[in-house]
Amino acid sequence: MRYIPAEEHVKVPVFKNIIYALKLVWKTDRRLVLSHFLLCIVNDIFELYIQNILFLKVLLTIIEGGSFNDYIRNLIGFFAVAFVAKALVWFGVYHHMVGAKTVLKGINNLVFRKALSLDVGCYENPEFYDKYQRATLIMTKGYFDTLTYDVAQIVSGIVTFACVIGTVTVIDPKYLLFLLPVVFVFIIEFYKSKTVYKRDLKMTKNNRTKSYIQRTVFLKDYSKDMRTSNIFFVILKRFKAAIDANVEILRSYGIKLFLYSVVSSLFGEFIPIIGTYAYAGYQFVQRTTMTVSGFSVVLSSINSIRESTMMVAESFEELTQMALYFQYLRDFFDYEPKVVGGEKEAGEFESLEFRDVTFRYPSAEKNALEHISFKINKGDTIAVVGINGAGKSTLVKLMLRFYDPDEGEILYNGVNIKEYTLDSYRNAFATVFQDYKNFAISVYENVMCRECTDEDKALARKALKQSGAWDKISSFEKGGETVITREFDKEGAGLSGGESQKLSTARLFAKDFQLAILDEPSSALDPIAEYKMYENLVEATKEKTVIYISHRLSSAVLSDRIYVIGGGSILEQGTHEELMAADGEYAEMFSLQASRYLGEEVSEDE
Amino acid sequence: MSKKERKSGETEHSMFSNILFILGVMFKLSPALVIGELVNGIIRILPGRLVSVVGIKYIIDVVTSGERLERIYYAVGLIAAVIIGGRLLTLIYREFFWNMARERLYYRLNKQLYEKAKSLDLESYDNPEFYNNFILTIESSSENISGILGMIQYYVGNIISFVTISSIIFTIDPWCLVIIIGVVLVFFPVSRKLSKLQYERRVENTKYHRRSDYFQRIFYLQDYAKEVRMNNISPLLLERYNDAADDVIGNQKYFYKRIASLTGFQEIGVQGLGFMFVLPLYLGYCVIRKGTLSAGDFVATFNGAYSIAMSINFLTIWAIARFSEQAKTIDKYRGFLKSDFKIKDGEKTAQKTEPKTIEIKNLSFTYPGNDHETLSDINLTIKPYEKIALVGYNGAGKTTLTNLLLRLYDASEGEILIDGEDIKDVTVASHRDRFAAVFQDFQTFACSVGENVALETDFNPDRVLEALKHSGFSKELPDGVDTELLREFSDSGIMLSGGESQKVAVARAFYKDCPYVILDEPSANLDPIAEYNLNKAMMEAAQDKTVIFISHRLSTTVNADRIYVMENGRIIDSGTHEELMAKGGTYAYMFNLQAEKYKN
Repeated sequence: MRYIPAEEHVKVPVFKNIIYALKLVWKTDRRLVLSHFLLCIVNDIFELYIQNILFLKVLLTIIEGGSFNDYIRNLIGFFAVAFVAKALVWFGVYHHMVGAKTVLKGINNLVFRKALSLDVGCYENPEFYDKYQRATLIMTKGYFDTLTYDVAQIVSGIVTFACVIGTVTVIDPKYLLFLLPVVFVFIIEFYKSKTVYKRDLKMTKNNRTKSYIQRTVFLKDYSKDMRTSNIFFVILKRFKAAIDANVEILRSYGIKLFLYSVVSSLFGEFIPIIGTYAYAGYQFVQRTTMTVSGFSVVLSSINSIRESTMMVAESFEELTQMALYFQYLRDFFDYEPKVVGGEKEAGEFESLEFRDVTFRYPSAEKNALEHISFKINKGDTIAVVGINGAGKSTLVKLMLRFYDPDEGEILYNGVNIKEYTLDSYRNAFATVFQDYKNFAISVYENVMCRECTDEDKALARKALKQSGAWDKISSFEKGGETVITREFDKEGAGLSGGESQKLSTARLFAKDFQLAILDEPSSALDPIAEYKMYENLVEATKEKTVIYISHRLSSAVLSDRIYVIGGGSILEQGTHEELMAADGEYAEMFSLQASRYLGEEVSEDE
Repeated sequence: MSKKERKSGETEHSMFSNILFILGVMFKLSPALVIGELVNGIIRILPGRLVSVVGIKYIIDVVTSGERLERIYYAVGLIAAVIIGGRLLTLIYREFFWNMARERLYYRLNKQLYEKAKSLDLESYDNPEFYNNFILTIESSSENISGILGMIQYYVGNIISFVTISSIIFTIDPWCLVIIIGVVLVFFPVSRKLSKLQYERRVENTKYHRRSDYFQRIFYLQDYAKEVRMNNISPLLLERYNDAADDVIGNQKYFYKRIASLTGFQEIGVQGLGFMFVLPLYLGYCVIRKGTLSAGDFVATFNGAYSIAMSINFLTIWAIARFSEQAKTIDKYRGFLKSDFKIKDGEKTAQKTEPKTIEIKNLSFTYPGNDHETLSDINLTIKPYEKIALVGYNGAGKTTLTNLLLRLYDASEGEILIDGEDIKDVTVASHRDRFAAVFQDFQTFACSVGENVALETDFNPDRVLEALKHSGFSKELPDGVDTELLREFSDSGIMLSGGESQKVAVARAFYKDCPYVILDEPSANLDPIAEYNLNKAMMEAAQDKTVIFISHRLSTTVNADRIYVMENGRIIDSGTHEELMAKGGTYAYMFNLQAEKYKN
């Protein structure tokens, strides 16, 4: 049985979810469903019924009758059946193994497309994100495969069970008295598995501790801290505590599970096996009609009945647990993005205006932004400054429609941004984020964000030169064709923090944008690289509209307008000179930073 | 099998040697569990199979003979006792011992691994081969290794049952045994070929999967969500995913065409032709024509044949495939435990005294696998209580220098002396204990705030709070120093922003009672006000310590007692801020670039 991690107990409609998932698989590639059914039914009926019972019964009956020719004829007949069964299995295995991968591909494509339409807010909402991550387990752990297998297994288990019971009834229905209790195993195992599930659930937290500790011990990220401090022992102590807690939990469930198992063996093994032997023995001693062949067949059928019952029980249990994951997947597919595009195409940039915008993150207690109003015109250079957590990044998120404001509106060229299509609106921006990312594709593709023609490559090279990344890139053997990261290309290149920031900045230089947003674009750079990048950015954005978000006020000095954000509001605005003259928040921050460069001591008030 | 392993040249030891090795390790850690598993393996498998062969035969023979039929009752009684007794023993073992013993074994195995991992040279992480080969494998190995116990249990059970049932069938009619084993052996090459194909398929698949998994991650993970939305890169990424997925499908098709048909061929041969035709033909001939065998013999052999086939199948194909897979893991595990480290303890124990002079003499260093020196001929002397700054371009070697100082790496040439004593002459632990280090890529741990600052289980809460105050940490702590960080284990754990995390990391330096402090970009994530406050607090708190700090923001270096300017692995200049500004070199250039904007 494949392992499915324990989750908190949530009631979900098992049957509906299973049907939902089956339909999804069916639509993607029906081969997977069909081949599983074929495999399970042929395998189970062949092994548990034809081979184990029917074959033995027929042969023994002939032996009792005594015609060797009959015997050979039947042997040939069974061989033919075996041949067909195995040929079908061969056919089924192939389509199953291929189908599993095509289903993975097909459903992943659906998931990817849906994921692209999700609000960024979904990713930042831990609850949604957590569920989404669990839904993706369906793909990474191959639960689709398990699902179709389980459904097929239940059907074939029931069919096999019926065949075997039928044969026994023909021999002597009284044996059913010993064989049918096997069905109770189904119920007992169901309750037992619930108990095991509860037990495992109690251990989840400890198991998470275990895997966290594993990670910290082996990951490079932690390696330096691990070696230069005693944190290792702090962690080891937690590891020991988690293990001890698990042992206690296991201990506390010992008796209960033991009793379940005993009762399960009683119905599944003791009663059927011993009962059959005893009753057959009784019949033999009493010299009733019981034949040797009948006796042997009934004994063999115990195993088949047990196996088919267990099969159904296990598959049923697995399906119940998986239903939760498919619920997550349904929720994910059913999610209606809140940020939806309008009809209009965003045209050439003229102005962007925040009108009394208030915003609060879902489930947050305070507003992240309160009554923000400002207007940016074409060609402006804007700096947004403020301390950590003031709301600068939130402002950017609203501007890019990662979230929509709760109150107020944002206007692009005088029209509410909700009226534009998302693609055309976002396309007006070029962005460099604080947490920029590069992709494991070629350097050129990273810059151009598409499959590159020679023309594209020339453009990419120019952009890379502007961002200062080209020096490094051109030193690679394959230049701009080099794949970033060594993830799956041995000839790939790993870039340092500074270099990869330059690479992602090149994206901006390559884009024919209307408005650029630079969110701390130089945090990983040394002073000279930083200076050069700024020069290039200024150069590239001369005619354009630019919004800088930065801690470093030096970048604000030359802006047309500076907005000082604090506690979700705009505290001050104006040019550098105006704000210095106003002697407020900005002036204080600026002089703090400047003092070190200008060699003066600041007064001691904090 | 061991021959095959060695031929493939992948493992250092033979499969057999590896299995024995791990059994030895586990026996040392938990002898009762190992013995229990072996015994349990026999009890689980043998009684049922024995009953279905010997029990049935005996009863049928009694029935056919028609004499002293009451013997059947004794037989039934014995069968009942064997089945019930065997099962109860297994259940008692499983629910009252096995579960818990396995958890404890897991602990002991991992503790060993973790201690080894911690003592590895940092260099091991830079070596991709070592990293992929050992660290990644080992990380996931402990479960595999305890899984080997289960395998061994089945293995022993099957060997015993194979031997027992074979001997019984042998006494009935040796030819039957010859037919059964003959059939399996004839098709053995096919089984070998099959497991080879499966292995090749897995290897190929991993290659393709690595690519498709990567593109899958981009869409699954939040890290890329913004980037993907702002750049129209998703069509390209989708295409790449589909290419990789198609490769996986192609690979699957290629291999399963052969695997499926070979499996079909083998099953038709062994199960169809062998057990459903040749064997029953011979048996039927003996029973019906020759009359040399009884009906009881027929049923016993018929049932026994399946039991033997199952055992052989398990022992050869299944177990060998699994064992050889696991043997590879064990091989790496052995290699990992044996791996030697270069950074060795000296004989003396370093004392935590007041700061002494640190001398770095002719120090050069090349990262393993690199062809150029990261540090070349570094010479510098740090006097007690000095506050020195290392500045320079990205990649100039600043962080590397602090790595050598902490003996995270050892220098290729030259030496580092503290109070005239080579740092290699003291134990690594006692040497590092003299330092508090805050790294650029500092980490916070899913432990309490107190543990995160003190990096000890027993910490002084007041000093923790004081250290946090110095570092400017201002977030509210609901449970004081016992507040858990991160949501990893505790739903009430608090999440910190980059800036707040950095303050926790910096607080470590304030907390630790030691003479030397290393700070690598301690204020990179901080806003100007926090940065200013941190600098001030640091200078005050570190009055009785030697401090080495690295910074890109030159404003923080102004007050350093001495500034070292590094470029391409060399120290190109040094002096106080004023001296360096007066010289007008690289430092002055960098400083002016940053200061320029503040000057108007």
